[in-house]
Amino acid sequence: MGLAVVRTMFEFFFRYPARVFSQGDFVLLSGWPKWILCILLLGAAVALGWRIYSRIGRTAHNLKYWQAAVIWLLESMVVCLVLVLLWQPAIVVAELKPQQNVIAVLIDDSRSMGISEGGATRVEQAKQALQNNVLAELQAKFQTRLYRLDRSVTRVNNLQEIGDAAAPATHIGDGLNQLLAETSDLPVGGVVLLSDGSDNSRGIDRDTIAALRNRHIPVDTVGFGEETVSPDVEMDDAVVAPRAVADSRLSAEIRFHQHGYDGRKATLSVRDGDKVLSSREITFAGAGKIQSEELLFNAGAAGAKSLQFSTDPQPDEKNRLNNSVTRPVDVESAQRRILYVEGEPRWEYKFIRRAEDDDKTVQIVSMLRTTENKIYRQGIDDPKELADGFPVRPEDLFTYSGIIIGSVEAGYFTPVQQDLLREFVDRRGGGVLFLGGHSSLGDGVWTGSSLVDLLPVVLPTHKNTFHRAPAYAELTAAGADSLICRLADDPDANALRWKKLPYLMDYQEAGTPKPGAAVLAQMRAGSSKYPMLITQNYGRGRTAVLATSGTWRWQMSMPLGDTSHQMFWQQLLRWLVADTPGRVVATIPNRTLLDDGHVHFSADVRDDEYQPAPDAKVEAHVIGPGGISSTVEMVPVPDTPGSFQADWTADKAGSYVAEVTAGRGSEELGRDVVTFLRSDDVAENFHTEQNRDLLERLAQQTGGRYWRPGDLGKLAEEIPYSQAGITMRETKELWDLPILFLLILLARSMEWLLRRRWGIV
Amino acid sequence: MVLVLGLAAGVVAFQGGSLGTQGPGSFFPPSYSYDDSQSASKEPSEFYWSRLRYTSRVDMYGGYGGYGGYGGSWSRDYPKADRQFLMALKRLTRIEARPTEQVVDLDSDDIFNYPWVYAVQVANWTFTDAEAKRLHDYLMKGGFLMVDDFHGTADWDRFMAGMRMVFPDRPVEDLADEDEIFHGLYDIGARFQIPGEQYVWSGRTYEKDGYVPKWRAIRDDKGRVMVAICHNMHLGDAWEWADDPRYPEPFASMAFRVGLDYIMYGMTH
Repeated sequence: MGLAVVRTMFEFFFRYPARVFSQGDFVLLSGWPKWILCILLLGAAVALGWRIYSRIGRTAHNLKYWQAAVIWLLESMVVCLVLVLLWQPAIVVAELKPQQNVIAVLIDDSRSMGISEGGATRVEQAKQALQNNVLAELQAKFQTRLYRLDRSVTRVNNLQEIGDAAAPATHIGDGLNQLLAETSDLPVGGVVLLSDGSDNSRGIDRDTIAALRNRHIPVDTVGFGEETVSPDVEMDDAVVAPRAVADSRLSAEIRFHQHGYDGRKATLSVRDGDKVLSSREITFAGAGKIQSEELLFNAGAAGAKSLQFSTDPQPDEKNRLNNSVTRPVDVESAQRRILYVEGEPRWEYKFIRRAEDDDKTVQIVSMLRTTENKIYRQGIDDPKELADGFPVRPEDLFTYSGIIIGSVEAGYFTPVQQDLLREFVDRRGGGVLFLGGHSSLGDGVWTGSSLVDLLPVVLPTHKNTFHRAPAYAELTAAGADSLICRLADDPDANALRWKKLPYLMDYQEAGTPKPGAAVLAQMRAGSSKYPMLITQNYGRGRTAVLATSGTWRWQMSMPLGDTSHQMFWQQLLRWLVADTPGRVVATIPNRTLLDDGHVHFSADVRDDEYQPAPDAKVEAHVIGPGGISSTVEMVPVPDTPGSFQADWTADKAGSYVAEVTAGRGSEELGRDVVTFLRSDDVAENFHTEQNRDLLERLAQQTGGRYWRPGDLGKLAEEIPYSQAGITMRETKELWDLPILFLLILLARSMEWLLRRRWGIV
Repeated sequence: MVLVLGLAAGVVAFQGGSLGTQGPGSFFPPSYSYDDSQSASKEPSEFYWSRLRYTSRVDMYGGYGGYGGYGGSWSRDYPKADRQFLMALKRLTRIEARPTEQVVDLDSDDIFNYPWVYAVQVANWTFTDAEAKRLHDYLMKGGFLMVDDFHGTADWDRFMAGMRMVFPDRPVEDLADEDEIFHGLYDIGARFQIPGEQYVWSGRTYEKDGYVPKWRAIRDDKGRVMVAICHNMHLGDAWEWADDPRYPEPFASMAFRVGLDYIMYGMTH
């Protein structure tokens, strides 16, 4: 309302719409040279200044210099204004030639426009607004083309062909791009978009805006729909990892906003079908503000899951169907194998193995140097596994998802093995964890090894960094946020639990964390502190250092039944391997399709040495609701060996499972499964309020204007001011603007009043 | 006269070393110097040979080693057996062990810092409720106990009376040749009875009615051995007298191999 009043006032004082001044060029129509005007302006100002200055002494003794300056300014302003008017100021602006330009009128006919408000649906309101002479006025001056907008634009002959509001999605950006392409050889002077701004393509991209600006086509937007829906709670998004290891701990960030329930409490929960996985009480923040809350829950057994994140319905809530969003999560059952290389029998080795005993998703395969010449192997699947010691071939080492290196000096690994370790992280995408020990890190001469860049720390240069002395573990701020260190869901309870942990049996000085590394925990030994758990991403994989071998005391010294030690190790090792990719990795950009069935499959395919396999045959086998079954061949992505892609459309709402298989000849390279969900109720139930922000930004960035339906009477007057299409340069004289007369009157009045006040009349 | 002889025996007991000698042909071993002045004996290490000091049953008298300095059955063969074994541990494995033994008890939580514990003459042991609970928790959290040097049916019953205070219901099983505990460091297939030092003068491998060696164990819920039971044998003596030419080498070697395997198992399971 306020903006409309301002616009009206502007046009009253300036005679022309603001668009004329923003797009026009200021000129002086008089034939006299402009330099004479400049000289006269300067001369007048100087003359007036001299006259006032010379008379100060002769006026009342109490006139001050600043008062004289004010008088001079006011008099100069009037004289300068009059002088400028003598030179006949004007503004030249491009104006569309009548009947030679096309104005495209786009009416959003998607499902959200079918929402009824005030007795009529939004699309009916749009049609009514056009029928109130607006369309007629436009047609009087321009060639108008009507379009129906949903996922694309479709030209229609009259308004009667619009109004189904049945389309499940709106893609404003795609529609505008299509319009530009179809009218590339037409003189389009402007676009009028009537919509509620609900866009399923997540916004209008910069390329579309740039294309409109290149052709100087302004988009005038007309907004429909209530700007706020109250009272209501609406879920905006739930962000959760699309894949998880069975029985692992997951964290979801849930975003929502509300109107009308400030300060109230509600329950936020996550469900798998009827089973509540986790819930907690939250308090609503300010109205309209996007609030973000975290929920921790257990991933549960393996399988493709559709998890529902929701808040409980509130009293008198207008729309309860938008209180919940669903997200697919693939919980994997495949066991991840970790190779643990230990240089000497020690307690940490025993208790790490015991901690992982209950974790069915991670298997530790260990090789322990019991004597100088004997290796004791545990957890092997086959008597031949590791019979020759640490692997020397990629296809042998890359069968593991993670590696733990205990108290082992760098020289134990040959140069070939060291190169393989690097490739394990960089190319294969595996995780490597280095433990503290008297032959580890600096004391194991890792400083001089070729693997020093794998470490997330810069090792100290001095020796004897390993100390058999007690140290207490402390959580850092980064560790408090990390799932690795989460011994309790509640952050305060977690911090308390860490404080109660017994001292570690030993500690090692690991050096300085590298930039980009995260220190999740530190150790306090006497008055000194040292980083304890440091992690970083490296290439496709990740590495970490745990600078102690004394966490076993957490198991032996805590009360029987305490699970701190077990939880810590299970979570640490799951982090180590959870993101280690297989030989085939399938991805979809959006796992939840909102009112839109288009899905783009991508796959990364590697051979048993994890080199790209561009010659693989890759297919996606899709199964969906109602017995939908389809096989889609995936084609190589140009210039990206090993990458494949395919497009497909999910016709029905529901959950889909796509299994991507890759083979080369008779050899199967691998397979991966990805699930996605098509949800068709978004337009009806979510973001039902008008997206005024999108409409205003579209108008502002293209040189147009945002309109309310009630203000469309002036649309036909403003639209002609466009630089697009076939235009003529119109000169608008400015000498008779009401604002100029008002300024002269105000200046003279103020001067007279001040003179009287200061006694110099 | 009897009193003087008894006192003399007691004085000799204070000389250190084990006086596990009875009967004809007994001998007094040369004095054994337990030099703890070397710094290595004081350095903290990864592994400590930990001998359990327990309360002896009041209905048992004697107990080798006498009273006073060592006192009680727990100190049988102590500390020479411990030291000799530690020498073998250092020589034959990569375990970083302190060269001197550690005595632990169930009176405090300090025992939880020593996840592997050895106890002898366990027919004489008994526990208070607190001690039994502590031992129970110790074993359930991952501790390992090896018991040795008790012979025959009566000793077994008395050992089990103490054990049942810790684990009232857990079964005691025989260890098979193929059990992992016998193959961690050395592959020990067929085993034989390992006698104490008494074999030297008696020629018998058994004591009391313990004719058949029983290699037994108590396991946790996941099947891991928590208590390794050496019944009708005396490994401690075999370690202690391994350097005596009269004590047969096969017994000593077997005893070392079993002990090392038990330690390796305790550090890996």
